[in-house]
Amino acid sequence: MPTINLERVEKNYGGGAASAVRELNLEIGDAEFMCLLGPSGCGKTTTLRMIAGLEHLTGGKIVVGERAVDAVDDGVFVPPEKRGMGLVFQSYALWPHLTIRDNVEFGLRLRKVDKKSRNERADGVMKALGIEKYKDRYPSQLSGGQQQRVALARMLAVSPDVLLLDEPLSNLDARLRLEMRAELKRLHGEFDTTIVFVTHDQWEAMTLATKIAVMSEGVLQQVGSPDEIYNRPANRFVAEFVGNSPINIVELANDAAGGLGVAAISYVSTRLGKLKDLGSIGIRPEAVHLVGEDEPAPDAAFSCPAEVTGILPTGGSWIVELTAADQKLFMITSEPPTVAIGDRARTWVKPTDLHVFDTQGTRSEQADEQLAEL
Amino acid sequence: MSQTLTAPTHEHTEPGATPPPSRGSRPPSRRWLYKLKISFREPTTLIGIAALALFLYLIVVPIVTMLSDAVRVQYGDESRAGSDFGSLTAYYLKRVFASPVAADLFWRPLGHTLGIAVTAIVLALLIGGVLAWLLSRTNIWGRKWFMTALIVPYMLPAWTFALAWTNLFKNRKVGGQAGWLETLGIEPPDWMSYGFMPIALVLALHYSPFVILLFGNALRRFDSQLEDSARILGAGKIHVARRVIIPLMLPSLTSAVILMFAKCLGEFGVAYVLGMPVRYDVLATSLYRNISSRQTGVAAVIAGAIILIGIISLVVDAWMVREGRKFVTIGSKGSMDRLTQLGRWRLPMTLVPVAVFAFSVVLPLLTLFLTTVMKIPGKFTWDNFTLDYWIGRGLKTVAMPNGVLLTGDFWMAAWNSLWMVGVASVTAGILGMLVGYVVVRTPVRPVGWLLRNVTFMPYLVPGIAFAVAYLSLFAVQRGPIPALYGTWAILVLAFIAEQMPYASRAGISAMMQLGKDPEEAAQIAGAGWWTRMRRVVIPIQKSSFSSGILLPFISGVKGLSLVVILAVPGTNVLTTYSVQLVDYGYDQAANAVVLMVAALAFFGTVLGQKLAGSNLADGMGK
Repeated sequence: MPTINLERVEKNYGGGAASAVRELNLEIGDAEFMCLLGPSGCGKTTTLRMIAGLEHLTGGKIVVGERAVDAVDDGVFVPPEKRGMGLVFQSYALWPHLTIRDNVEFGLRLRKVDKKSRNERADGVMKALGIEKYKDRYPSQLSGGQQQRVALARMLAVSPDVLLLDEPLSNLDARLRLEMRAELKRLHGEFDTTIVFVTHDQWEAMTLATKIAVMSEGVLQQVGSPDEIYNRPANRFVAEFVGNSPINIVELANDAAGGLGVAAISYVSTRLGKLKDLGSIGIRPEAVHLVGEDEPAPDAAFSCPAEVTGILPTGGSWIVELTAADQKLFMITSEPPTVAIGDRARTWVKPTDLHVFDTQGTRSEQADEQLAEL
Repeated sequence: MSQTLTAPTHEHTEPGATPPPSRGSRPPSRRWLYKLKISFREPTTLIGIAALALFLYLIVVPIVTMLSDAVRVQYGDESRAGSDFGSLTAYYLKRVFASPVAADLFWRPLGHTLGIAVTAIVLALLIGGVLAWLLSRTNIWGRKWFMTALIVPYMLPAWTFALAWTNLFKNRKVGGQAGWLETLGIEPPDWMSYGFMPIALVLALHYSPFVILLFGNALRRFDSQLEDSARILGAGKIHVARRVIIPLMLPSLTSAVILMFAKCLGEFGVAYVLGMPVRYDVLATSLYRNISSRQTGVAAVIAGAIILIGIISLVVDAWMVREGRKFVTIGSKGSMDRLTQLGRWRLPMTLVPVAVFAFSVVLPLLTLFLTTVMKIPGKFTWDNFTLDYWIGRGLKTVAMPNGVLLTGDFWMAAWNSLWMVGVASVTAGILGMLVGYVVVRTPVRPVGWLLRNVTFMPYLVPGIAFAVAYLSLFAVQRGPIPALYGTWAILVLAFIAEQMPYASRAGISAMMQLGKDPEEAAQIAGAGWWTRMRRVVIPIQKSSFSSGILLPFISGVKGLSLVVILAVPGTNVLTTYSVQLVDYGYDQAANAVVLMVAALAFFGTVLGQKLAGSNLADGMGK
């Protein structure tokens, strides 16, 4: 299975608009399940379509395996029909005038596969996806979930080396989405293909991907395993975009800093060595701990007195709203909280749970090293 | 280990990142090759360029040639213009706009055209507006049925009604057979038989369905929450109509008005039948008169003036729609399904559409039909009825010894209509689809933009002016193209060009609706351009393709103003043939031919709606 290399890929739709994708460098390894994650309009779908060859580059190069499929400066362009990839569209794009069987067999027919093996192959794929009983129907007679399986089957029938999926689960209801996620993960394990998956749903990315590429406004923000993306966000955008409940941000820059910021600044300046351009600290809500007002916080922890101003049960867990030095701080706990609204308490956060960003919003590696030593 | 990447705009650079290579060390860029490959790797752009060349020749060149005829000395006018053949001159402009004959050539016809247009539009708005309200907002009987029935006048050629009118009200001003009223012993005055009043009335009846469609649709989709909120604030019914509904309907009303106005400008048939006998000229008939008397230069000036007025009205429309604000009045859930209960007014109100239907459909068609089976029109005695005018032999009329169905000329005209218009509409339909495909798909934007606008141009040019343009270009040999006047080719080409605005618009909207996905999916599956066309695009577009051929076919078969100038006896089509019969005074035969055109148009439209699977209201944009 090939790797896919994007080198300084640039896409500008012209008309004076900002580039949809800017100087994108990305390596997608063999048998990787790569998620392109970002808010709408961040350029993730454009990137996927460029890999497929449906969108043209305005600069840079895309290499699949050994072969350059796009190289603007060398005048190389391989049309989508010659790239041998599979793509599932967000709208599924099933051909309305063909039956399910004909839809699935379309690619095989083009490859001049004889009727017998064509039927066998199509039957096999349809069976694997549980749609063989609809094979003589037309797409408009199927539900969204069934259509989605047909789209998958159509793509898998030709056994492409690279699978591209453009938010294929966004039109499904929650339950079906869960099922299809499991299905995709199973397929990835089974066929060992390279998969590129576009989604704006960070939960989906976390559960499926072996690697996530987070994008914003056409710029790649970070590439890493789901764990890295979550626990070591490379910048403030990634920190704020990833995570089911939004991360707490404490501003440290002098003019923006609130009371909590002042406490954080004093913590940083006493515990850590000299850091340049200190901008903000991010704290995930589940990293926030609570003890009684007079109890001590663990030794090296960042701590601060706070008042409980709200408790929101969400079923399996609780969100506790704290006000520390005039600033709101959210905490998530899976234990029923022992505090009540109005209680005074002390919050604390482990040093390694602090994400320190500079004034540019970039993660401070220097701070990471020093915090790890505390 | 996670990699961190920063935006190139940030000053901060990652330590490991390679700096961009300096310009000098880079091998010569072949960026142009990449662009070229994208633009031309598929036939789309090439087809677009070929189509563009074709339409420049079929649409732009004729119009430009005609306009240049207006300012160049024509053959035979050298001494009058005081200049050599082909040299620049203001003679024709002066003659049309500021000479002793200017009043006859231009100003009076202009006044007539405007007067007729205004009267017809006001009447059509009144009739159509009332009917639209009754049909879409009240509980009169037979709403569904009337919604279709009242559209019929729009499907038939307008001069069908003009002919019916003369059959009824003709007087001794013209020769030939007597009118119905004459036979009944009443001599109708001229103002009732010919000229302004009947023309305006016939056009009003013809255009009122247009108002019903546009206004009725707007009313039906009107969000009743807007109305309810005014009622809740204490506004009475009349007040709501005046302050809420009418202002919100204004944009769709102005559009309807402008469209009707543009149609009135080019209207030829009605004015020809009802105006010519008393030399009551409108712009289109004045143009026709000048073409018939070989006043090419003068005709070009008049045609140019008609085009100019048409363009101005469309610009005004575009400006009004922009300035007059397109209101979003379409409600999602509050749309009108609630009807005004008329109570004891239900029956009287139902009589309104009944009356309009009787006057605009039943009476004219019945008149035309009965005339074809009567020896003396309007005389209701048994011995007066005959089928001779359809299938008789040895009639006493000079040039028509046999009934229409036994006359060779009729069958030739019918065959010409079918095959010429057929070839033209199939071609226009295919070209329209291609234009749609290129406009929506080409990576070379200017080609798409040009194509879209060039194919729209004939819309600004009324049929009769377009015919004059074709005459200017194809009357003589130019380069390798022989003189086409008098051949079938000029008719077919003119038909194609005339239909392109509708054909290309249909093609563009069909391709837009199809979207990119099905084709891209095929591309991903490995299908090249031709395979995609054959296996995906054409099969999916089949039904819109067939209605895209049928609708131009109908409007071509019933059209008169384009062909009346271009057809010669050998290339007669049904419409020109019937006009000829009218000229000779063979009313029965003329009516029979017109009835057949009407039947063709009506059943064709019905079939088209069936094929397109849409309701009558949508396909009637022309």
